[in-house]
Amino acid sequence: MKRLWMGVRKRLRGAGELLAKIWAHRQGKVGLIMVTLLVLVAIFAPYIAPYNPYDVSQRTTKGLPPSWQHPLGTTINTGQDIFSMLVYGTRVSLIVGVTSGVCIAIVGSILGVAAGYLGGAVDTLIMRIVDIMLVIPTLPLVIVLTNVLGRDFWIIILIFVALGWTGLARTIRSLVLVLKNTNYVKAAELAGASRWHIMIRHILPGTSHLVIMSTALSSAGIMVAEAGLSFLGLGDPTAISWGKMLAEAQSGGALLFGAWWWIFAPGLGIFLAVFGFMRVGLVLEEIANPRMKRTSSVYKLFRSLDSSYVEEVFRSMDDYQRIGVEGVSSGGGQSRGTGLEA
Amino acid sequence: MKLSYVIKRVLYSLFVFAVVITLNFFIPRIGVEDPAERYYPPQGNMSEIEYEIVKQLTREQYGFHVSTWQQFLNYLKGLAQGDLGTSFRPGSPKVLDLIKERLPWTLVLSVSTMLIGLIVGVLFGVVAAVKRGRWQDTLLLNASTVMVALPSFFIALVLSFYLGFEWEIFPAYTDSTMVSEFAWTWEGISRVARNAALPVMSMMVGSIISYAQGTRNAVIAVTNEDFVLTARAKGLKRSTIRYKHILRNSLLPIVTSLGMSISGLIGGQVVIEQVFNWNGMGTLFLEANQTNDYPLMMGIMLLLSGFTILSILLTDLVYVLLDPRVTVGDKR
Amino acid sequence: MTKRLLLLVLVGALALPLAGCQTGRGSHRPDPNTLYVGAVQSSFPSAYMPWLSREGIAPTIANMLYSSLFSYDEETDRYLPSIGREWYYVDENGEPILTEDGSIDYARLEEIYSDPQYDYLAVKVIIHQDITWSDGVPLTVEDIYYSFDLATNHALSNHAGALAWTSDLKHKYNNGVLVEKGLFTYERGALEQGYHIDPAEKDYVIYLHVNKVLGAVTPLFTSVLILPKHVWEPVVSRENQLNSSSPSAELLYRYTHPVGCGPWVLDTEQSGSQQIVLHRRQDYHLKKPDGSPLYGVDTIKFILYKEQNVALYALLKGHIDVLDSSVSSNYLLLFAKEKDLFVSNAPGTFTQTLVFNLNPVASERNPLRDLLANREFRKALALAVNQDELIKNVLDGAGVPASAGLMRPSLTDFYNPEADSIVPRDYAQRLALANEILDGIVPDKDKDGYRLLGGERISFKILGTPGEQDVVSFLQIQFKKIGIDVQYAPKGAQPESTYLYTSKFDLVLQGVIFSLSNVDIMYPAHFSTLGRTSNYGRLVNEGLNAAIEEMRYTLNLNRKYELLKEIQPMIAQEFYKVPLYTANVISVARTDRFTGFQVVEGSTVFNSESLQNLRRVEGR
Repeated sequence: MKRLWMGVRKRLRGAGELLAKIWAHRQGKVGLIMVTLLVLVAIFAPYIAPYNPYDVSQRTTKGLPPSWQHPLGTTINTGQDIFSMLVYGTRVSLIVGVTSGVCIAIVGSILGVAAGYLGGAVDTLIMRIVDIMLVIPTLPLVIVLTNVLGRDFWIIILIFVALGWTGLARTIRSLVLVLKNTNYVKAAELAGASRWHIMIRHILPGTSHLVIMSTALSSAGIMVAEAGLSFLGLGDPTAISWGKMLAEAQSGGALLFGAWWWIFAPGLGIFLAVFGFMRVGLVLEEIANPRMKRTSSVYKLFRSLDSSYVEEVFRSMDDYQRIGVEGVSSGGGQSRGTGLEA
Repeated sequence: MKLSYVIKRVLYSLFVFAVVITLNFFIPRIGVEDPAERYYPPQGNMSEIEYEIVKQLTREQYGFHVSTWQQFLNYLKGLAQGDLGTSFRPGSPKVLDLIKERLPWTLVLSVSTMLIGLIVGVLFGVVAAVKRGRWQDTLLLNASTVMVALPSFFIALVLSFYLGFEWEIFPAYTDSTMVSEFAWTWEGISRVARNAALPVMSMMVGSIISYAQGTRNAVIAVTNEDFVLTARAKGLKRSTIRYKHILRNSLLPIVTSLGMSISGLIGGQVVIEQVFNWNGMGTLFLEANQTNDYPLMMGIMLLLSGFTILSILLTDLVYVLLDPRVTVGDKR
Repeated sequence: MTKRLLLLVLVGALALPLAGCQTGRGSHRPDPNTLYVGAVQSSFPSAYMPWLSREGIAPTIANMLYSSLFSYDEETDRYLPSIGREWYYVDENGEPILTEDGSIDYARLEEIYSDPQYDYLAVKVIIHQDITWSDGVPLTVEDIYYSFDLATNHALSNHAGALAWTSDLKHKYNNGVLVEKGLFTYERGALEQGYHIDPAEKDYVIYLHVNKVLGAVTPLFTSVLILPKHVWEPVVSRENQLNSSSPSAELLYRYTHPVGCGPWVLDTEQSGSQQIVLHRRQDYHLKKPDGSPLYGVDTIKFILYKEQNVALYALLKGHIDVLDSSVSSNYLLLFAKEKDLFVSNAPGTFTQTLVFNLNPVASERNPLRDLLANREFRKALALAVNQDELIKNVLDGAGVPASAGLMRPSLTDFYNPEADSIVPRDYAQRLALANEILDGIVPDKDKDGYRLLGGERISFKILGTPGEQDVVSFLQIQFKKIGIDVQYAPKGAQPESTYLYTSKFDLVLQGVIFSLSNVDIMYPAHFSTLGRTSNYGRLVNEGLNAAIEEMRYTLNLNRKYELLKEIQPMIAQEFYKVPLYTANVISVARTDRFTGFQVVEGSTVFNSESLQNLRRVEGR
């Protein structure tokens, strides 16, 4: 029991140090502030929002422009307060993004470690699955799956996780291949430790920086993807999310009525959330690998987005191939697609 | 060595394709007890017996009267003959015909975006690399970080609102006469250009910036390579170094990423097409989804997957040809 | 050097779209005699097989290209001439069963046909003599015979025939072999049957045998679109069925080049996936009383829009004249700001109801649903529904309350006010009564005021489409006043097969429409028949079933009307499908080029009355 408590304390201290490092970084400060702000808004939404958008009795005149009572006006189709919807939307977007990010991190790291360390048939199987999933276009697949499995909140998270773990798994696997050959793992093997023990106690912690970074970055990517999905009308119909607000704005005729605030508000929300999480993620990467500091942050992002081949190329040109940090899971970014390109 | 590698890669690609075909067939059928359900007419005052006959006829009509396995075999047989299936739309058009009709329009958007992104982006990237650390570079950096966080459909909405609705410079929604009255005349083409302006603008910013960043970093990285140092030491002219050595080598990653994005070209940006009411492959897929038109959905997904596999294969082979430094074998 | 190149490229990239700026501006509605109609659909059909066209715009177009024997007038319960000119019930000699003043003698009809030797009613139809198909060939009863014959012969027509609604025709095939003959013309057995036809009229008279119910002729007269025999007979066969998923080239040609006898003709060259062009037929046989053409426009051009906002944008910009789609009341504000618009706020015909699952199958029963089986409990919930509030909040006032008997009050001859007088009008009284009833069934409440069953809060799920969430939200407020909790649950893609036919729901929102032309089919489907019908809650009420049966089978029209009236309070007292509102149909048209748009109950502004009334505005 005492050992458990000490282990927890060690982890907390480690986390605290990490946070301090992020804070010390100039861009990290910005990111951390944004993320904290968003989380606070999500948690305290009922206190921040002047109205409860889920409560029908609090609806009022439709299509009002911004005013003191309604800082962002009201929606045209239902008469809900847009500012309140924005605040409550933080909850949905954050929950979907962070939950998916965390689950992807868990699934991806477990499978990646298994593939890398156990090798053989397990490795082949997992990597083949990754190859096949890489080939099928993501957005059409997501659309088909929502059609088939339903549009419930948790099913959508499940779909995102099912499609998103591949990138991380591959990256972790490469790292594990390197870690496998380090002295201290070899020592543990010689000492007769079981394979599970090694995987969990030695290898997994070695990938922790990558996992944490991926959580942040893929959360950001999932948030954009969820917004896109809700925008197409395929998200959870009962939840108020930013993507759904954009969809309602478009179908409710915001453009026809000239209600630009209805469009800007959720867009801004998405931007802030994604920007904040991405900053944190990129800063984490820099902390983990000081050599990366030389290059620009988006360079890292760009590298992370493409297939193995581009990674190969960059690896052959850079001199930190020995560390084998290839970048992180898919997510975020315009160029290669957040899953919004077929 | 090379031939066996090529064969191995081709076989592997075929294997992946086979798995994809199977998945493609079975995924839309998950949890659906009776796929013809949607197409049964209401019973009205038909007796039970009559209604059963009608249901059976409907099932035969859409090919659902045989077992799922048999349906799969029929599907494979059709594929072997190049038949992607028949859509469930009234008139039973062939899936391939529908795709052929819509594909050029998607290509208009995606190829334009890619070209603009490529040309402008590479140029920006080179400039930023050359002026490393100065304002051009920082501008690119800031623009990238902002662009990555803004979803493209949001940009699309904003552009369509201001440029389309408020200031009426471009049409906010695609004019349907663009397709129905299209001809290879100056008027026809400029009408297409006018309607394509907003969608392309929404997509091109992201495209430009990503190519710019990639080029910039590739150029910088290559500039630091040994062989450039050698060339400088040899006293070659600066322009020779710049073009022959640096640019050519830094274009390699761009070329490979181009190869990867071919399937994106064909699939198009679904969300952008939806915002602007552009009749391309993206909206075709959405329509198919709305009406549960399985053959059409499967046909499009198969086409896209097939192209991805093909482009990965080609990129792989081209790459090995171009850069022998990369070790052959399991790249992953 | 690089900078200059950059500049050049940028300029080039911007030049092309801007160049198109000047051209393309003037292509709004160029043709003065064409009505531009916007249609909001996901796609336009490429083929017009009239019996198959159930989705999207296809039924509208098919009904313009083709005709049926008669059209139905809701207000008077009469059949208006289309292809057919007159029709009669006839006796065994083919003589019309009429009273002295020329109307149908239902008493004598009942007398003659109550004889058990008759399991059919004999009907005589006389068609117009001056009808031609759009390719010039004259229309005769051979075409009518062929159409009905083909529809009933599944070996040739596949399930397209079933969609032509001929199940009330007593003319049946079994696997390509005629087993019951029910169609008779001069050249096809009329004389043998004993029906006399004057040889001079042999091409214009046909006798039919229909089911022995008064409602049998309705679908046969109004929904079966007549096909040209000379076009289809050569191409349809057992191998090449009328409805084929792999049609032969000839069959495909026939699908895409329709030949009909309706007032409009398809312009196959100009029609495509984005637009459909119809031209008025000069030689259409029906005309206005003064001899002028029935319709006021020469050409109609349907333009496809994927989304309603896009279509509205096009309308406001002047790309189209009229939008064939109903819009929500939110847009009334937008329309008020524009000039040259005609807004039609027509009374609707669709009633939105709340349906209770009152008799689930054994595996789907639970204590909550057992409450629903209790009629008094349902009555309490029905009392708590405030239709005026719903109309005000959900529809912004663009709607009217619906009758509990589900018949439209505007049909004054058939509406029975008794159906609505079984509950008080005043909402406060209703709430008091509802609470009183519920206090007797489930008196316990939790701290929020919701009633408890066995210690658990009573909570029902209402299934609806995402657009109906609003309705459920307001119902939540109303039911809270009697202490019942309801929640929205999405309907899913295939609600019938996944939930509704299998009793897997508590409550569901259902839109219903009952009119004289469909009660024969709809009443049983909604209230009697168990199985895969609209009777989702599986209501079983012997008295109601008996009344509905009698209504369907009685040959006495007056008795039928009487029963229709009696059934309404019976339906109301079941509190099974509780009405919520009847929404208005709001639609809009531009009046800068055409005037004369008409408001028609239950229709958008693009309806046949408007088409008949349109006039060009001078000077445009």
